[in-house]
Amino acid sequence: MRRSIAALVLATAALPLEAEEFTWAETTDPQTMDPHAVNSTPVLGFLNNVYEGLVRRGKDMGIEPALATSWEPIGEGEGWRFTLREGVSFHDGAAFDADDVIFSYERAASEAADTRSWFAPVAEVVKVDDHTVDFLTTAPNPIFPGSIANWMMMDSGWAEANGAARPDKENGNFATLNANGTGAFKLTTREPGLRTVLEPFAGWWDEAEHNLTRAELTPIQNPATALAALLSGDVDFINPVPIQDVARLQANPDVKVIQGIEARVIMLGFPHEAEALQYSADVEGENPFADARVRRAVAHAINVPAILQTIMRGNAEPANQLVSPAMDGFTEGLEGYAYDPDAARALLAEAGYPEGFGFGLKCPNDRYLNDEAVCQAITGMLAQVGLRATLDAMPVQNYWPELRADNFDMYLLGWSPGTFDAEHPIRFLAATPNDEKKLGSWNFGGYSNARVDALLPEIQSTIDAGARQAMLDEVARTLADEVAYVPLYVQPLVWGVRSNVELTQRPDNFFLLRWVTLD
Amino acid sequence: MMSDSTTPPAPGRFRRFRESDFFYAFTRSPVAMASFAVVALLVLSSLLAPLIAPYNPFDPASLNLMNGFTAPLAPNAFTGESFLMGTDDQGRDVFSTILYGMRISLFVGFAAVLFAMVLGITLGLLSGYFGGWVETIIMRAADIQLTFPSILVAMLIFGVAKGVTPVEYRDEMAIWVLIFAIGLSDWVQFARVVRGATLVEQGKDYVAAARLIGQRPTTIMIRHILPNVLSPVLVIATISLALAIIAEATLSFLGVGAPPTQPSLGTLIRIGQGYLFSGEWWILFFPACTLLALALSVNLLGDWLRDALNPRLK
Repeated sequence: MRRSIAALVLATAALPLEAEEFTWAETTDPQTMDPHAVNSTPVLGFLNNVYEGLVRRGKDMGIEPALATSWEPIGEGEGWRFTLREGVSFHDGAAFDADDVIFSYERAASEAADTRSWFAPVAEVVKVDDHTVDFLTTAPNPIFPGSIANWMMMDSGWAEANGAARPDKENGNFATLNANGTGAFKLTTREPGLRTVLEPFAGWWDEAEHNLTRAELTPIQNPATALAALLSGDVDFINPVPIQDVARLQANPDVKVIQGIEARVIMLGFPHEAEALQYSADVEGENPFADARVRRAVAHAINVPAILQTIMRGNAEPANQLVSPAMDGFTEGLEGYAYDPDAARALLAEAGYPEGFGFGLKCPNDRYLNDEAVCQAITGMLAQVGLRATLDAMPVQNYWPELRADNFDMYLLGWSPGTFDAEHPIRFLAATPNDEKKLGSWNFGGYSNARVDALLPEIQSTIDAGARQAMLDEVARTLADEVAYVPLYVQPLVWGVRSNVELTQRPDNFFLLRWVTLD
Repeated sequence: MMSDSTTPPAPGRFRRFRESDFFYAFTRSPVAMASFAVVALLVLSSLLAPLIAPYNPFDPASLNLMNGFTAPLAPNAFTGESFLMGTDDQGRDVFSTILYGMRISLFVGFAAVLFAMVLGITLGLLSGYFGGWVETIIMRAADIQLTFPSILVAMLIFGVAKGVTPVEYRDEMAIWVLIFAIGLSDWVQFARVVRGATLVEQGKDYVAAARLIGQRPTTIMIRHILPNVLSPVLVIATISLALAIIAEATLSFLGVGAPPTQPSLGTLIRIGQGYLFSGEWWILFFPACTLLALALSVNLLGDWLRDALNPRLK
């Protein structure tokens, strides 16, 4: 007994004296620890600390080697060959090799996976040897390596032994609560909605830039509460800072505000495919939003500058297309729909609804900056032209299932292109939903345009930048003409940290612990 | 305190009480009069809200977002309009919203207490009068419910009710669901007090006499026992009213009560809480003060009522 106490004392003394424990708060808890189950920023951003892909994005969003050391095109655009890093092990000690890549491909491209559409251009994945894998594409695909930066590698043996060979979005499985990646941090505690604890992985292949010994994420849904926790020092970092508090925080020497423009465009979506409205007391058996004039009326009715001026306090830029100007392939010179309630009323009358109509607006209340307040403001603005929305705001874990079940007449959505390219939202939001081709997986309203569908594979395979841009421009103009969505604004990115914390903010709103240092 | 109220309770006492002792006690208590004045003022101004309020905050079409975050009595930077108590994040006039929101708070409070009272009195009379297994079932159910915090019970009922109502009627239903949820979480107190009082009353001669002349149990309970157990019920009802108003505010504060487009006092406080750090204090301050004044004066009135109606304090 005495000897074991002595051993314990010795062991404690041997630990590094400084424990750099870091805690942070976000409004949204990552829904799952499964990197292939939900394609959303809270999940992918968090799991990038635990899992890794073949390539990763650096501080400037540039693509750099991760689990692959190099890659090169095969032949004349037949695909890409990746050379895997040797000597990489998962958190449980298993070695990483080509079989894990093949397994992760099959898992992430399976029907049960939300990441399925990332692999739409892939025809086949072939193991050449233990550390070489070929991705054969259906057409030349110049942006492929950059498009899989968030595709994370999972150990085949671990997943199969725990019955998690396929993701399970609805019911969850072992991989929903546990994680076993190759990343800089390993998951030690996961209590959904309460706390998630990470510790550095001693066997990480890369050199650690951080100086943390432990990191804990606590979701705090109320931004004001999170801010209070930051000011009192209970947490070291919060994302986001309530936009109304930026000015006051900037004057506080204990904290820093880190601001940037996020890649995320906030927009309204419509039920293009629906036969009838679901939540209308006065329109029976028809769907007014199927008429482009009604959708245009919506676009004219919303006073975006007023929303940005008051609710966003001048910290956001209006948007007229599905991507922000910072993205590759942004369409210049596109004209949005100006705020013009009279034009909106005229369009509604022309479409046969001079008195307007009632409908249901779905909105998250913990996903985007001031999302509920924005939806409330939109409700008021639409009411002024006779579009009487019943607002139903809910937490994000209820929100996505509602949208997937088509329970909406109009909905709010924010989209941040994972590839930083204008092709991304076309594939997810504008392409006709097609499970077979892995397209349109977030196109809840079922928008469909044959020309857009025909242009998408062309855009994906065209290498000439000018020709590619021309096609992207055509799609952007089509979507704007038909008002497939009503883009509202580009969301600002506002983080708050204690002044003794150094970290890196990326425009995709991913918070990576490997760049965090504590003084 | 009083000299002539030692006579045993008899039917019609309440009325005579009001004409003599009760009213006299009221005029002697500045706290009671002040609380009554505050309650009367708040109730009246919320009833007359459409006449007093300069805007209708429940009509989303009338809002101008550019008026958002206007400070009290200061002109808005964009529209030049000025508001007595400022505006919230949606450009709603806080003063008008308080008047309209108080209507919801008061209506929910009164209706929920009424519902709890009717339910509690009925069950309390039944279990006190019949005893046996009726009493066992009712009072054990009451005991079980007492082990849960009433706000939890209300949230549970609210959640279930929200799940079963169609979305297009949710906004209209929300108020009724609130009343139902708060009322159902609050009946136990009434039932316990009424049962206790009934047990005492039914051993008295007048009840035995009523039984002897062959009156039916319902008649005995309603005509004879009920009037004699009403005064403690009245006290509980007043205190419950304050609690129900706070319960409604709590539920709305937690985001499960009144819809955001029809804010009650609790919803307003929830909205205002988000702007505590940023300096827009008025969005929280005025609704919170109103809620405080309302709940406090109703509570003080209830306290005074308890003392005034308590024969042991005389």
